[in-house]
Amino acid sequence: MTEEYEVEFVDLGEREATFLVRPITPAFANGIRRAMIADVPTFSIDTVRFIENSSVMFDEQLGLRLGLVPLSTPPGEFEEGEEVTLSLDVEGPETAYSGDLVASDPMVEPADDNIPIIDLKDGQRLELEADAVLDSGREHAKHQGGVAVSYRHLQTVEVVGERGEFAADDPHVLRGVIEEQEADAAADADAQNGDLVPTDAFDNDLTNRYPEKELDVHDIEDAFVFNVETDGSFDVETLVLEAVGSLETRADELKEAVQL
Amino acid sequence: MSYKCSRCKRDVTLDEYGGVRCPYCGHRVLLKERSRDVKEVEVE
Amino acid sequence: MELRVIEKADTMLSIEVAGEDHTFMNVLKGALLETEGVTAATYDVNPEQSGGQTEPILTIKTEENVDALDALEDGAERVIAKSQNFREAFEAAA
Repeated sequence: MTEEYEVEFVDLGEREATFLVRPITPAFANGIRRAMIADVPTFSIDTVRFIENSSVMFDEQLGLRLGLVPLSTPPGEFEEGEEVTLSLDVEGPETAYSGDLVASDPMVEPADDNIPIIDLKDGQRLELEADAVLDSGREHAKHQGGVAVSYRHLQTVEVVGERGEFAADDPHVLRGVIEEQEADAAADADAQNGDLVPTDAFDNDLTNRYPEKELDVHDIEDAFVFNVETDGSFDVETLVLEAVGSLETRADELKEAVQL
Repeated sequence: MSYKCSRCKRDVTLDEYGGVRCPYCGHRVLLKERSRDVKEVEVE
Repeated sequence: MELRVIEKADTMLSIEVAGEDHTFMNVLKGALLETEGVTAATYDVNPEQSGGQTEPILTIKTEENVDALDALEDGAERVIAKSQNFREAFEAAA
């Protein structure tokens, strides 16, 4: 009934990945992208109780900085709206870093330890207690788990002839991922038809890969290359699966509501 | 009301009769110190 | 998710889907257009002269022998199937 998908990774890291999905409709691809940005909840500091702040910045300014510190968010362990408390106590001369935040629950801790919060001079001190709440990017950008999420068409290059003898040798810049279909014309001897090649492999310039050729670039229909980067609250795999899960949950709800 | 003298840095308590003046050194510039209460801030 | 039927005929349905935005509505609309028996599907999040209507309204038209409400159910099932297929493919590749 529904088409099967094929997923192929071009690059997979903890916080950043590039992968190809096909065949996928633009509607579904965009739904997944939007869900990754706005609907997958992460923890973020929402309320701060300042016990002592003799630093040079206002409580509210520090509160804003603390809110932007990504906190690790294990999937499925917490409900939206649940809170976890963290505390921080740093005395100058010293820089207070995100890593100085002490979590009451080891599952929710700063994703990075080296985010500076404020430089404290001799005699200055910062002591506070903060409540982090689980919420989605729809409510506030600080809750976004996906910080750079995009997709674009997979492209392919067709050799239509030889480059004219007196043609200008301008660069032919292309970005994204191409599917190799002209391996014989490629400068890379190991090229095989069907290879997925990120354009930065040839410095984003097609004349490097297909020298002296006249080229045509096409989009491949219903094949999309996703580029996903998380803020460290969880890995890319979790973000993608949670986003798809949120769409599925809503479809489930709709189905049940219709049946009543 | 508790203040801090900006010259001699001593804690000063003002009453309604003495006027604005440090009783220790006579300096007339007094600084209001931050309250020791815990302050709750909503992050927005 | 709260549903409120605005208009209902055998082969036509207009329904408010409270609490949703383009993220889900467009996926649903896309799935409905692929569903057998559906001749038209669209949604509008802020119809003109709506008097403050900001919840999306989904409108479906179907072929003669297909009930529009059944078509909506099929569409929802299609989104579920797509999600499951995507998850399987993604987990297999990761």
